[in-house]
Amino acid sequence: MTVLTMPAQPAQDTAAPRPVPWRRMIWVTWRQHRAMLISVLAVLGAISVFLWIAGLDIHHNYAVMTACRPAGSAACQTLSSNFTSTDWTMANVLGILLQLAPVLIGAFAGAPLLARELETGTFRYAWTQGFGRARQAIAKLVLVAVTITVAAWAFSEVFTWFFKPFLGTSSLTVLSATVFDARGIVFAAWTLAAFTIGAFAGMLIRRVVPAIAVTLGAYLGLNLLAWLELRKFYPVSLVTSNPSLFDGSTNSATSPWVLSTWYTGPGGKPANQSVVNQVLALFPHNGPPLTNETPAQALARHHITEWFRYIPVSRFWPMQFIEAGWLLALSVLLIAATVWLVRRRAA
Amino acid sequence: MNVIETNGLGKCYGRTWALRECTLAIPAGHLAALVGPNGAGKTTFMNMSVGLAVPTAGTVTVLGDQPVGSPAALDGIAFVAQDAPVYLNLSAGDMLHLTRNLNRRFDQRYAHERLAGLGIPLGKKAGKLSGGQRAQLALTLALARRPQLLILDEPLAMLDPLARQDFMATVMTSMAEDGVSVLLSSHALAELERVTDYLVLLSGGQVQVTGEVEDLLACHRVLTGPAAEADSLARQLRVVQARRGGAQAHLLVRTGGPDDPVPPGWEAHPVSLEELALAYLRSPGAEVLPGPSLVQHTEPTEVAR
Amino acid sequence: MEIDKGNSRAGSSSGSPIEFRLDPASGVPTYLQLVQQVEHALRLGYLKPGDQLPKVRDVVASLTINPNTVLKAYRELETKGLAAGRPGQGTFIQATLNQVALPELTTLRRPLLGWLTAAEAAGLDEDGIVALFTSVLRDFFKRRGGSADRRGAVNGETEDVG
Repeated sequence: MTVLTMPAQPAQDTAAPRPVPWRRMIWVTWRQHRAMLISVLAVLGAISVFLWIAGLDIHHNYAVMTACRPAGSAACQTLSSNFTSTDWTMANVLGILLQLAPVLIGAFAGAPLLARELETGTFRYAWTQGFGRARQAIAKLVLVAVTITVAAWAFSEVFTWFFKPFLGTSSLTVLSATVFDARGIVFAAWTLAAFTIGAFAGMLIRRVVPAIAVTLGAYLGLNLLAWLELRKFYPVSLVTSNPSLFDGSTNSATSPWVLSTWYTGPGGKPANQSVVNQVLALFPHNGPPLTNETPAQALARHHITEWFRYIPVSRFWPMQFIEAGWLLALSVLLIAATVWLVRRRAA
Repeated sequence: MNVIETNGLGKCYGRTWALRECTLAIPAGHLAALVGPNGAGKTTFMNMSVGLAVPTAGTVTVLGDQPVGSPAALDGIAFVAQDAPVYLNLSAGDMLHLTRNLNRRFDQRYAHERLAGLGIPLGKKAGKLSGGQRAQLALTLALARRPQLLILDEPLAMLDPLARQDFMATVMTSMAEDGVSVLLSSHALAELERVTDYLVLLSGGQVQVTGEVEDLLACHRVLTGPAAEADSLARQLRVVQARRGGAQAHLLVRTGGPDDPVPPGWEAHPVSLEELALAYLRSPGAEVLPGPSLVQHTEPTEVAR
Repeated sequence: MEIDKGNSRAGSSSGSPIEFRLDPASGVPTYLQLVQQVEHALRLGYLKPGDQLPKVRDVVASLTINPNTVLKAYRELETKGLAAGRPGQGTFIQATLNQVALPELTTLRRPLLGWLTAAEAAGLDEDGIVALFTSVLRDFFKRRGGSADRRGAVNGETEDVG
């Protein structure tokens, strides 16, 4: 009943309108999360610069120390003890602190990503725009995830270079817990997982601070689980009864990770434990052995074989791929769950 | 085309029904006012129309027969929520750019001209703007999207009188120039009387009155006459509200139309929209709805369903 | 803060000679006020045939009223034959309230005076004459069909009385 029922605008599509192109979200994501992205990159960058500068020094010290001749002289010993006390202490501390990096990045980048919109009420603007809330969420999550993951990977490369000298001088190998996590692709994968945990928690809880707390808790739980249990079950372990692999005479940087040992008697049946204990009593922990034989020879006399389940250092990359693989799968699942939550409040 | 059509729409939060049995059809080309006291269900209704809340019961479609939240609905409806939410740490220029990126259509020139005309600097952070400026910014962003339907939740609440006039002038101009339909909510009806041509009155989560303002005003009047006859008259007519003194009574009645005969000895006066709305709000049982559920009564001073 | 720059520029955006004004306390519906103001302007000579009425958008911006109200007023003027809309351009005055020429008016006065003399002789006082005349007038135009009076020269005068 009014002239206005015929709008003056160009003819509307009667079918669904063409979707707004995805690439628009690049600027949107950048502008909305500029401060967070810059902070993450700046912090990682600053630490990288520090690692580079300190690392040059450490590499130099290491080269001098290993080139020192004669090896047993007082001067060389001094170099060695200096290296282990100052340089190693710092590196050790850094290595441990860096375990926190993924979860901090994930919590402070991931949790507020969507939760802040809900907390401040700006979702009433964002979710009524033409682009659509689910597509916005997907684009944001993917763009930020990729950026953060790549930055984390680059950072872990710097740290790997920094830490190289210590693999020869400490008792750590690349499979040791704090070392494995900080290199290769696993550091980046843990950062990605932390981010997606954060984003999901943020969307679920809808408040930033509680979401951060939940992210920290969930991540730490998952990380501990991986350290203590999961890695032992990766299908890369080997079994042997050859004790020479483990006698410590080889370079400690390449010594395998022993998961478990057990004893078998004649015919492969489980060994008599009391006999085993008798034999082991010959080799007390404190004090000299009570026999000239090696433990293996002593056991062999009783027809007992010691078996080892272990992971050789050469399996480093398969382990990395397995861990990164399930972390990636988890991350994708969490992103999907987050988007599903975003959709769920829709009509 | 109906810009919003609902059928038995309802929303329940916990055990309270914020909105219940809401059936209406708001036609295009109008400025529809959603009026009611605080907590009447206005925001709930709007949220369900734009997809920010999911109905517990009933259905709602927009812009003809589009489902809420569909690409066509998101494209054709611009919503400004209460307090005009914008990103406070972004500048006005950033908000323009943001809105342009998130929508298919955006009239950049219009947006720039309007903001310049209002004296809102593009470089200033939205958090530093005054309440009125933020409201105008949010409105500019919404209108620059060239929507078919503009939904505004309590847009005037935070504005001083001058800002209110500017705001409504912008909305009216948009209706005139671009054929935008408007739905806005308010609990201040006096301000809306000049601009509203479709009324939806909500009270206690239910729709009490819905219809074109012209028709509503044409079929209501106040009859003034002797109080002694008021009761007998009330039995014949549909009284919405009665006020009486010792000798004189005023009955706000619903008639069939402006040509209904005036009872002898009584005077008929036209009603204003505000008077009409207040009368209905004070009479919880009264309703004016499309269809057969019209006002019935037995009591002279109030109306039963 | 001028949103409608048109009105503040000299001559107004579209060059309409008149500008509307609302009297919210008058009790007269808004659209009718606009119609009356146009007719009044025509009578006083502010508006002539061919002049453009203010654009809907300008009226709405300055008075903050619903555009449908303005459209309704303009439609009413069209029905009365006073204005006509040109698509894409606006609404223009196309007729005047007829100003009847002076000699014709004089010719009409004489029989009217005669009738008044007869009415007074029959015993009607002033109010009675007015009542009788008004009722006959109403019947006259009702029989003519419709509220539109196309060439009623007396239209402008008697409406004030009614």
